[in-house]
Amino acid sequence: MKLRTLLPLVATVVMFGLVRAHAGDVKVIANSSVRPDSITAAELRSLFLGEKRSLNDGSHIEPVLAKRGTAHEAFLKRYLGKSDDALQTYYRTLVFTGTGLMPKVLSSDVEIVTYVAQTKGAIGYVDVSTPAEGVKVLTILQNGSKGERRLLTRVEPEYPETLLKLRIGGTVRLEVTVSAKGAVESVTVLGGNPILGEAAAKAAKQWVYSPWPTQTHIEVAIPFEPHP
Amino acid sequence: MPRRFFELALICFYVTPIAIQAQEFKIFDRSVQIHGFASQGFVHTDHNNWLTMYSSNVGSGEFTDFGANASMQVTDKLRIGAQVYDRNLGHLGDWYPSLDWAFADYRVKPWFGLRAGKVKTVLGLYNNTQDLDFLHTFALLPQSVYPTDVRDATIGHTGGDVYGTVSLRRRLGTVSYTVYAGHRWDSIHSGYPYLLSQFGTQFKAFGGLQYGADLRWNTPLPGLLIGASRLNQDTAGNGSSVNPANPGGGRILFSEWSKADWTNQFYGQYTRGKLRVDSEYRRYVRDQAIFGGSSVNLTDVRGWYIAGSYRVIKRVEVGTYYSRYAITSIVGGALATLGVPQQTDTSLPENHIYDKVVTARVDLNKYWNAKVEGHFMDGFGNGTYPDGFYPQVNAQGFKPNTNALVVRTSVNF
Repeated sequence: MKLRTLLPLVATVVMFGLVRAHAGDVKVIANSSVRPDSITAAELRSLFLGEKRSLNDGSHIEPVLAKRGTAHEAFLKRYLGKSDDALQTYYRTLVFTGTGLMPKVLSSDVEIVTYVAQTKGAIGYVDVSTPAEGVKVLTILQNGSKGERRLLTRVEPEYPETLLKLRIGGTVRLEVTVSAKGAVESVTVLGGNPILGEAAAKAAKQWVYSPWPTQTHIEVAIPFEPHP
Repeated sequence: MPRRFFELALICFYVTPIAIQAQEFKIFDRSVQIHGFASQGFVHTDHNNWLTMYSSNVGSGEFTDFGANASMQVTDKLRIGAQVYDRNLGHLGDWYPSLDWAFADYRVKPWFGLRAGKVKTVLGLYNNTQDLDFLHTFALLPQSVYPTDVRDATIGHTGGDVYGTVSLRRRLGTVSYTVYAGHRWDSIHSGYPYLLSQFGTQFKAFGGLQYGADLRWNTPLPGLLIGASRLNQDTAGNGSSVNPANPGGGRILFSEWSKADWTNQFYGQYTRGKLRVDSEYRRYVRDQAIFGGSSVNLTDVRGWYIAGSYRVIKRVEVGTYYSRYAITSIVGGALATLGVPQQTDTSLPENHIYDKVVTARVDLNKYWNAKVEGHFMDGFGNGTYPDGFYPQVNAQGFKPNTNALVVRTSVNF
C-alpha cells in the first residue's frame, strides 16, 4: 500500500485515538466572582456534595450539575466517586431528611456556561472542548498536593558565558505549560533579561513534573547570580 | 378494566415528568425548594395477617404514605425547613398527619454543625430514611432492624444534634459523627399502643428522653462504610387499662416507665459499581416497670440482616436479603403471678421471625418507581414487643410460616 494512501488512514486512526482519549474529559468552570484560580479536589467534592457552600476564603459557591452526558459521567467518576444513580439517591436523602437542598441541574454544556457566566458564585463542569466564554477555568489540585504540583526532575540552566563575565544577572520569570503526564510542553518568558530567559527556557523544557489530572500552567522565577 | 389500567399507567408514565417537578420560588431573594413524595402498597399473605392489615385472602391496600417539605438556604451556613408526613398501615397511622421534621441547621465548619428542632434520628444505615420508599431497593426494609410498625420508637426527636465530617490523615478516609439529645413523642396510633390494646390498655401519651450517637467511617477502601450507633431512652406512658387481676372490675389507671432502654446497632455497607451489599445488627433491650410498678418486663430483641442489590440495567434493580429476628421476654411481679408466660426459647416460632426476601425494582421514569417483592417468613414473633404479627387481626391463631407478596409504587418530586 502506497504511503500516500496509508497516510490519511494513519492520520484518521491517530485523530480518532486522540478524540477518544479526550472523550468525556471535563473542565471545571466558575463565575468570575470566584476568586481563586484553583481549588483542591477535596474542596470541590465537598461543594458538590452539599457539605459546604463557600470556599475557605469565604467566596459563596453555587454548584451546577449537568443532567447527563460524557462530561457529567467523567466529573462524577473523577471527583465525586459516585454513579449518577448514587448521586441522585444521595441528594434525595439530603432533601427528604432536611439536611440539604437539590442543586441546580442543567441540560447542556451551553446552558451551563451561560448560567455560570451570569450567576455569582456558580461552579459547573463541561466537556473540555466546550468554549468557555465569560467564565474562568479552574485548576483542580489533587489531595495531598499542598496546593502545588511537584517538580520531579530539574535541570539547571547554563549561565551564558558572556553575561557571566560581564557580571550581568537577574531573575527570569517563566510560564511553564505542563502536560497531564508531567512533560513540559512549552515555555514562555514573561520577564527578565532575554538572553538569560533563553537559557532558562532551554533548561525548563527538560524538567519533569508529577502527573496531574489536567494540563497546568505554572509560573516560576529563576535567579541568575553572577557571583562565584 | 385491564385496558383502562394500562392507558392510565401510560398517561402517568408520560405526564409525571411534567407534572411532578420540584417547585422553587424566592422569598427575600432566597430560594425556597418544595419537594414531596407518596407511596401506595398492596400486601397479600397466604397465612397470617401481617402488619395489622387483613392481608390474607384477597390482600390489603391499606399501605399508604405521603409527605411534603419546604426548605430554604438562609445564608451559606444556615438552612431551615420542615416536612409533614401522613400514613395509614392497616390499623396504624390512621391518617393522622404529623410533623416529620422541622429544624434549623447551622454548619459552622464541615467538621462541626448544629441542628435544633424536630430532627430525624441517625441510627444505622436507614433509620432516618425508612419512610422514603423511593430511596430503597426493597418495598419493606428488613423488619428485624427497621420494623415499620414501630417506626415511632426511633424515627425522630425534638431537641438538638451536633454533627460533622472529619478527614483523617494519611488517606485513612473520613469519619462522620452525630451526637443528639431530645424528646421522643410516639403516636398513639403506632404499633406499641396497638399491641397493648389487646389487653384493654389505651394509651393517652407515650414518649420520653432520647439521646445517643452515631459514628461512621468511610474507609480508604472505595465504597466501604462501617459504623456503629447507640441510642439510650428514658420513656414513660400513661393511660387506662383493664385490670389483669380483675378483668370485670372496671378500668384502672395504667402507667409504665423504662428503668433501662438502649439500642446498639452495628453496620457495614459496600458499594462497587452496580452492586451494593449491606449488613446490620441491632440489639434492643428494655427493662420496664408496668402497671404502676406492680410488674416488670425485661425484653431483649436481637435482629440482623444481610442484603444485596444489583442494578441490572439503568431502570431495573434486583435485590435479596435474609433477615433474622429473635425476642426474649422475662415477666416479673403481679403479671408473672397471673401466669403470663416467659419467652426464652428463640427456636419457637412465636419467638422469632426469619425472613428470606427477593425483590425487583423498576424505575418507570426519574420520579416514579414500582417494586414487586416476595417474603418467605419462618415464625411470627408475638411477644411483649411489636414484631409485625398482632393477635387482634389473627383471631384464629397463628400459623408458623407466612409467605407474603408485596407490591409497592412511589413517586417523588
